[in-house]
Amino acid sequence: MHLELTMKQAVIRRTVRKFAEERLAPRAVQIDASGEFPLELAREMAGLDYFGLEIPPEFGGAGLDSVSYTLIIEEISRASAAMGVCVSVHNSVGAYPIYQFGTEAQRRSFLVPLARGEHIGTFCLTEPNAGSDVSSLETTAIRDGDSYILNGNKIFVTNGGVSETNLVFAVSNPSEPRKRFSVFIVESSRPGLEKGPIEDLLGMRGNAVCSISFHDCRIPVENRLGEEGQGLKMALSTLDGGRLGIAAQAIGLAEACLENSLKYAGERYQFGAPLTSFGTIQGFLADMATRIDAARLLLHRACRLRDQKQNYSSQSAMAKLFSSELAVDCARVGVQIHGGYGCTKPYAVERFYRDAKICEIYEGASEVQRMVIARHLLNA
Amino acid sequence: MKNTEPSKALGSVWIFGDYRNYFQNRVTLQLIAKGKDLAERLETEVTVLVLGDRIHQYAMEYVAHGADVVLAVDHPHLKAYQVETYTRIIAEIAAEYRPEILLGGATSFGRELFPRLAVRLETGLSSDCIALEIDPETGLLLQTSPAFGGDLLAEVITPDHRPQMATVHPGVFKERPHDSGAVGRIVYPDVEIRPDTRVELLRSRPQQGRKGGLEEASVVFAGGRGMGHAEAFAILYELAELIGGEVGATRPAVRAGWAEEERLLGQTGKSIKPKLLISAGASGALQYTAGIQNAEIIVAVNRDPNAPIFKMADLGLVGDARSIMALLLEELRKRL
Amino acid sequence: MNTNIVVCIKQVPDVAKVRIDHQRMTIIREGVDSIINPLDGVALEAALALREKEGGAITALTMGPLQSQEALREALASGADRGVLLTDPRFAGADTWATSKTLARAISLLQPAVDLILCGRQTIDSDTGHVGPQIAELLDLPQVCGVTEIHKEQDALTVKRISDGFLDTLRLSLPALLTVSHELCVPHYIPLGRLERAFSDIPLTRWGLEDLGLREEEVGFRGSATRVTRLFTPPPRRKGESITGASSLLVEHLIRKLEALGIIDEEHGTK
Repeated sequence: MHLELTMKQAVIRRTVRKFAEERLAPRAVQIDASGEFPLELAREMAGLDYFGLEIPPEFGGAGLDSVSYTLIIEEISRASAAMGVCVSVHNSVGAYPIYQFGTEAQRRSFLVPLARGEHIGTFCLTEPNAGSDVSSLETTAIRDGDSYILNGNKIFVTNGGVSETNLVFAVSNPSEPRKRFSVFIVESSRPGLEKGPIEDLLGMRGNAVCSISFHDCRIPVENRLGEEGQGLKMALSTLDGGRLGIAAQAIGLAEACLENSLKYAGERYQFGAPLTSFGTIQGFLADMATRIDAARLLLHRACRLRDQKQNYSSQSAMAKLFSSELAVDCARVGVQIHGGYGCTKPYAVERFYRDAKICEIYEGASEVQRMVIARHLLNA
Repeated sequence: MKNTEPSKALGSVWIFGDYRNYFQNRVTLQLIAKGKDLAERLETEVTVLVLGDRIHQYAMEYVAHGADVVLAVDHPHLKAYQVETYTRIIAEIAAEYRPEILLGGATSFGRELFPRLAVRLETGLSSDCIALEIDPETGLLLQTSPAFGGDLLAEVITPDHRPQMATVHPGVFKERPHDSGAVGRIVYPDVEIRPDTRVELLRSRPQQGRKGGLEEASVVFAGGRGMGHAEAFAILYELAELIGGEVGATRPAVRAGWAEEERLLGQTGKSIKPKLLISAGASGALQYTAGIQNAEIIVAVNRDPNAPIFKMADLGLVGDARSIMALLLEELRKRL
Repeated sequence: MNTNIVVCIKQVPDVAKVRIDHQRMTIIREGVDSIINPLDGVALEAALALREKEGGAITALTMGPLQSQEALREALASGADRGVLLTDPRFAGADTWATSKTLARAISLLQPAVDLILCGRQTIDSDTGHVGPQIAELLDLPQVCGVTEIHKEQDALTVKRISDGFLDTLRLSLPALLTVSHELCVPHYIPLGRLERAFSDIPLTRWGLEDLGLREEEVGFRGSATRVTRLFTPPPRRKGESITGASSLLVEHLIRKLEALGIIDEEHGTK
């Protein structure tokens, strides 16, 4: 069920749904089974502006608003959560920061190919010793004349396996307590950048997740994004937006669980009646539907605030928190409704169950989201 | 034309005679039979209007199958069926004799000709009718025309304009048997023949049996999304090969890459009339059933007992399509 | 050389998702998307291909309630140059003849003059296939229906189509009207940036009864020759039995059916 969309947003949603149903959904099973990133599909999506959704046309993107953006991620994720995450991460934390914080030259050389989907982007934040505890990160970027030299290890980089452009978060000023970090644009082709093997994942398979390590990787000063020491601020601002995409991705996944469960429960007969005639099952379905609508409203609100250029950190945290936990729950209930069949490969809910879990963890684990919301409450 | 008194010189229930491919294409004969019904109720006669080259033999056939009158326009220029030429000639004749009703078969040609002709005659038209009756009170032709791929039917009337025009789907009515003793009048009206110059037919050749001969097959296995995945769908190909049949598919199955576009059945694909159609794993969406509804026997296999497909099946098997087809293949291999 | 093309578009319910309300004998539209009739999408795609080769302008034309502008915007996003919406409460209740009269009049008013009209062969809701030929008649244009291939040289079109079991190759001169079949081409997916712009940048032309210079008796319900007296759902044409049970039981039934139909022989294999 959808909220009041403008005619344009309704057509956008419908257009993407058509593509997702015709081109993505039939391949979703195979992508999950092989765990291989579907390059052909990515190229197709690139041609339709899926990799430059929020970037203005002057830089090769589609220039869409936040509501349209999240509708698109939701529709993609409904067909394939793995592709939803790929597109969301590329757009909100891979490409958008360059638009927001980059110089004209950086936008020209890095942003345009990203918006066109000629290059895929990543945001390298997490490290072996720094997950939720971002400030413990150890990757260093030492100024040397007109370059920086990067050393360190980034793990769990979404899109890492196929990226050309990587935003790397590193310590540039160790002695300045509030200005320790900076962000750097590092091309995958830079000597000293090494990619690890693609992770063999539980879910979201087909996503090229890997580690990226830097060994005396030298990059020109011009590759630094924004001012030195402003890294944390930029990262937090970027993650606010990234949460919207992930919330949409989780909602798409939850919606797919609901649809599959509705269909199955209507066809499966036990005790002489379809499952849909039993109160317990009706309860499951009603709860799923209600919470999915609630999730959409939360997300919609956060999107509106963002488009109005208002502070939306707490609201986006709420949206991400609520949707991600919802997705896990809908997947769980979905499998339950399917019974034994739900634990076998031919049934989509089996994949949804594996896909859902990571939603509660990446782009700010639920615990971190709660911290953000609490901080907002306590400061107000 | 607005309704005025029809001429009684000829019958006022007219049938457009399409004599091409005479032995396979029986729709004109079917319409003559129905026309006789309608004419009886209107206390008039059935007239077949036929245009072409060297058509006397067909005119005789039409009489033998029930036509009271045949209006024949015979000329070498009319050898190839041509929309604008035929529109002009038929309109001229109809304007003179003012039939009450004008029916035609919903062949490709009929579907191109009749709309144009209806506008020329400034009257109404309904298409692909599956039923025609005379309203006992009003005397109007009640035209039952399908919408939404056939799942909704509309009853249509043309109250104030004449002739009341309709095209009819082949196979809807039953022809009367050939009666060499039947009597009828064959009339050759005087009409100016001018060949159409605006559309030129360069070449026309019989369509080769398309890939797989889906339209010719007497047994077709049609698979839908419920087959689950490519390997399961492939069972249908094996079954078809074993039995000597063909494979069709629904749109979702084609999209998933389990079957080529040429195997698509339905509103946007092929309409087939096999002796036996086994539909496996398709719920029976309107778009799809439009393509299979004319099969002689339909067997449906689907997990959902409420699936719409069962409403149009002669035999319904409620169960998992994949396992049933796999088991069928196994059993048949044992026997054959 | 420039070819000015009009593509007639109809917004229809997505028939794949539509359900029938058997009580009220209507279709259940709620929650069902309105889409561009698929064959009209094919017509538009063909127009784009012609414009790419020859130049010219493409006008997307539709008759319908205000909501139909959605379809025009989509057509613009696909690449049409201009969108024209014929909308007026008096156009409502039109049968195909009244619809064709309205569309034909609009086409005759377009500037620059139209060289080629492309329509889908039929719609997925009414299935009649009337409007193309009727517009051709009203505008006194040559027509070919169900086209599967189009080639243009100067002012002449060579087209192919399948008709009653024959593959025909025909030639006709512009101006003309063609209705298209699925084999002609596959509509492309619309890039999102173009959708965004189609909804912001380009104004649509809106015409009502007076703009077309038609009389009320010529359009809508009053301008129709046919009337729908009732709607109903067909009775199940087959009164088949449904069997539930173990797969082995079901397969047995199926095999017996095959034998009964003479498709397989009990002892000797396939016939």
